[in-house]
Amino acid sequence: MNDDRFEQQINEAVRDYHRPPETPRDEMWAAIEAERRRRRTAPRIVVLRPVWRWGIGMAAVLVLGIAIGRQLQSGTGGTPASTAAASSRPGDGLAYQLAAAQVLTRAEIVLTSFRADARAGGRTDSQFLDQARDLLGSTRLLLDSPAGQDPRLKPLLEDLEVILAQIAVLSASRDTADVELINQGIDQRSVLTRLQTAFPAGSAPARAQGAI
Amino acid sequence: MDESELISRVRAGEPAAERTLYDAHVDRVYRLAFRLAGDDELARDFTQETFIRAFERIGTFRGESRLSTWLHAIATTVSLNGLRKVKRFRTRETALEAADGVAGGVRSAEPDLKTRLRDAIDALPDKYRTVVVMHDMEGYTHEEIAAALDMEVGTSKAQLSRARAKLRESLADFAGEWVS
Repeated sequence: MNDDRFEQQINEAVRDYHRPPETPRDEMWAAIEAERRRRRTAPRIVVLRPVWRWGIGMAAVLVLGIAIGRQLQSGTGGTPASTAAASSRPGDGLAYQLAAAQVLTRAEIVLTSFRADARAGGRTDSQFLDQARDLLGSTRLLLDSPAGQDPRLKPLLEDLEVILAQIAVLSASRDTADVELINQGIDQRSVLTRLQTAFPAGSAPARAQGAI
Repeated sequence: MDESELISRVRAGEPAAERTLYDAHVDRVYRLAFRLAGDDELARDFTQETFIRAFERIGTFRGESRLSTWLHAIATTVSLNGLRKVKRFRTRETALEAADGVAGGVRSAEPDLKTRLRDAIDALPDKYRTVVVMHDMEGYTHEEIAAALDMEVGTSKAQLSRARAKLRESLADFAGEWVS
């Protein structure tokens, strides 16, 4: 076997691997300028990195789990002494309120971005739709938790669920009429205002959230 | 205009300086992106994203390496990350097609060396393929590769050696054709 010749053949063949054509300089420069202009004028959407998304999601589920567990324990299984002790712990109510505060804060960011995006006439980013779907899941979890029994939070969570469900099923090439209907829903139910005032700055969940 | 002056002017936001920087480096960036992607559309996307990021982050360039090294580091990161996304998407597509019974055609006749070699390079792990592309095809030195891929020079040499060994192994049956 002639190893040298084999090596030579390989070296020649390697040079043909994905041989590039002439560089389309001007076309790419025009595209770069257009994209930079678009990015400068596009509204900023807060896109959480996957690791943060998972982290926040897991933390929220953990907090919810603890809250639900404590609620069930105090409702059914605990001894009178432990029930009394549990119900007197101020952290019980705070746990699920904290989870709710996190979800509502994220919802406020997503809805605000959605409206800004709609006003600018931009296309819906797929990551943005993903965020709406994530939030929809969290909102449904909250509705099934003790937070869903809170007379102040329940109507807000129900309205939020409807809005997020509408956004989540919106296709990337969204229909203007659908977007308009969603925005009308947000306005008519004053969802953004209620989200902003659900946990005023200085309230326990807001303070705890800041600490986290 | 020397490199440091050009960088200062780009940092100041001078459009002419940005174009000068682009013209000086675009060929090599595009060639690298094309060699890695094997597709004009993707190569254009990766090249454009490389320069957009470079202009956005030129303020963070500390001048410890050459500008070309910094640019090629961005280009390889953008290209390899982009290719991973494309690969995941194509894998899903292929799985769906296979499930539908659409894919899977007749296997073509015995491929020639170039085709076999292309397939063998495609099958290399990303880190090996990138070193082969940069060194053997685009003529980067091991020092340049090490700086762009944030690795030791020795690691670059070792990866190239392993990559070539893998290619020889994949094409071993072809070697017999040159027995005289």
